[in-house]
Amino acid sequence: MSAVFKFADVQGNIVRGYRHKPRVRHLVLEIIDRIAARRWLAACASGGDDVPRITTGDWREVEPVTCFNIGLTYEGLRALGTPDSSLETFPIEFVEGMNARALKLGDVGESAPETWPAPFNDPKRIHIVATIYAHKIAQLNQVQHQALADGKALRLLGAPPDGCSFPHDLVHFGYRDNITQPRLEGVHEADRYADGQPRAPLGTVLLGYPTNFEGLMWRVPKLLGHNGTFNAFRVLKQDVAGFEAYLDTAAQDLLNQATVAELLPLGADAVGRGLSSHAALREVVAANMCGRWRRNGTPLALSPDTPNPSPAVHLTDFDYVGDSRCPYGAHIRRCNPRGGHIVQRVANNSRRLVRRGVPYGPPYDRAQHRDPNQAEPERGLLGNFIGASLGAQFEAMSCDWLNLGLQDPRITGSNDPIVGANDSLTGWFDLPLKSGKTIRLRGFPRFVQTRGGAYTFLPSLEAIRFLGSLKN
Amino acid sequence: MPGDEGWFDRFVNGLQESDVFKRLASLVLVPFWAWRMPVKPLPGGPRPSTQPGDNLQCMMNLIMPLKIKSPIGRAEAAKAIAENKDAIFAGLNNVGTVHFARFVIVGDNICMFSVYDGDFTNYIRDFIATIGGVFNAVVELAEGGEKVIPCECHVEAFIEWVRARDLYQVPDTITDFLRDQEALNGDKAIPGNDDLSLLPRKLILQLRANANVSLGSGYRAYPGFSVAQVRKRLGIGW
Repeated sequence: MSAVFKFADVQGNIVRGYRHKPRVRHLVLEIIDRIAARRWLAACASGGDDVPRITTGDWREVEPVTCFNIGLTYEGLRALGTPDSSLETFPIEFVEGMNARALKLGDVGESAPETWPAPFNDPKRIHIVATIYAHKIAQLNQVQHQALADGKALRLLGAPPDGCSFPHDLVHFGYRDNITQPRLEGVHEADRYADGQPRAPLGTVLLGYPTNFEGLMWRVPKLLGHNGTFNAFRVLKQDVAGFEAYLDTAAQDLLNQATVAELLPLGADAVGRGLSSHAALREVVAANMCGRWRRNGTPLALSPDTPNPSPAVHLTDFDYVGDSRCPYGAHIRRCNPRGGHIVQRVANNSRRLVRRGVPYGPPYDRAQHRDPNQAEPERGLLGNFIGASLGAQFEAMSCDWLNLGLQDPRITGSNDPIVGANDSLTGWFDLPLKSGKTIRLRGFPRFVQTRGGAYTFLPSLEAIRFLGSLKN
Repeated sequence: MPGDEGWFDRFVNGLQESDVFKRLASLVLVPFWAWRMPVKPLPGGPRPSTQPGDNLQCMMNLIMPLKIKSPIGRAEAAKAIAENKDAIFAGLNNVGTVHFARFVIVGDNICMFSVYDGDFTNYIRDFIATIGGVFNAVVELAEGGEKVIPCECHVEAFIEWVRARDLYQVPDTITDFLRDQEALNGDKAIPGNDDLSLLPRKLILQLRANANVSLGSGYRAYPGFSVAQVRKRLGIGW
């Protein structure tokens, strides 16, 4: 096993956010001819004129105009004729695929894979998910055309809606995204990123390196694994109108509570100049659900009573120690409890993921007048959740932390308030008060619905060349 | 219809009550049925559920046949557990999701029974990370164990190995095991009436495929509470 890490061998979307390219398109592809598909892969890896070149982590001097990356499903590896000796060494969750793991991921009811639209309703045919990043739609079209030009290797099964980033890293629901990612040992310089969290071992996102569990290594799939990683690609529909309507209801209910003043200790003005108590409470509820205030992302861990503290606070240099007023059940705390006290003491920092998410659908404007007879356009997030072990990171987080709340006895039995599989009959969420008491919001509904996805393997460039060179 | 039974029906139905027939059936008929109607072993572990409260106090019933099937093998197992007692206690504390855990020798098997919260895979993985050495000491004595130790270097294979030895939990409603059979075979047809007079054959064949099972998924006097919730309420820290 080599400890030497080469940026040029790793697909670019693992180590870079491509944040200057607001548009993204995911092509869901089926291999129709094994030989032609191998040729296509080999050309993509080495960069022929007639196919898009796979973007690596090494840009040299100039950022590419468009970026192109590929993920292969287990069925895709089989379709390419990957030797059994290699296939047998892939982890079971990847072999089974995302659809089969629905219960672990909270994909039940309206999120169940049986309800997913094409192409995600036929997972055995999904072989490759290719992702294009660009400035303009015309560039997306051009790269797509180039990728499918030969017509022999691949068939386009479909594509979820294009993603398009909003200004200032905002996403639907009004939160700010992209504030923090795992900073990797040997990749990111420690002093460039102020962050209260330890740097993540390289094995957090790449196969073949030490992981956060001291002494533990994930199995590196034979022939293909080194410098590769896994990705949980998800199409997550967001009910923005339902979310805003819920904030209205929750704020109204809170106004009737005796302890409501405790939620606004600095007054409504501290939440936003000129806001009514109702409007301020909406923001308080939204902030508590996420663990960050909407719009600017100020963390509740550092500023629980106002999104605009003076002096300003750092966005990510914090930990959940002592009496942090960030709710135990807040989304960012559930996903990543950082160094805070949790039940599974060995699991702190072990389930971190690289997240590449871009919203789709138009931004929601609450002030805009709506025709109640007209359906809202679909909105959501195209999410890529990248980690070296789907089982130890993405699934572990989804089942025990997001949808069981096992990490803290005060939230056990509840789901994540934003992405969890909540049920409006039984769902609940606790708002902490300064006094240490809580106000429980009952009947907490589900706001995010899974509409598709796939577990993919993001091979290294060397592995892609190897697949391209297979003969049999 | 019971009223329609002739003497031959009564004779055949009565056969299953006779000891001679039972012995004969065990030797001849059951292997024949099993050949005619292969039944896959059902997977072990608790039944998957989407209700958060159902995923607490899950039962693991792990049966590992010893390599050395004699008092010597059993003594080795007893010694391995005794030598690792301190590590086991420390590990249980650090993993934080285990209510109870017991090691038992039954026949020439070393058994590990535990009650844990949350996902099985996470539970085993956290254990490997905390006290992998204890697992190694025990699994080394079990048939086939050498392939998955040291568990720290074979995390995925070790977890699958353990899962394969965790007992199938026969549903509390006994006809529900038929649903498990159908699900395992990918049979999506809507089940017909479960004729209880047919149940014995399917159940017998299933218990041939899964020789050891857990009957039901265990009784809980205070369901729906995690270890940490109990400890917090008792004021003993979590």
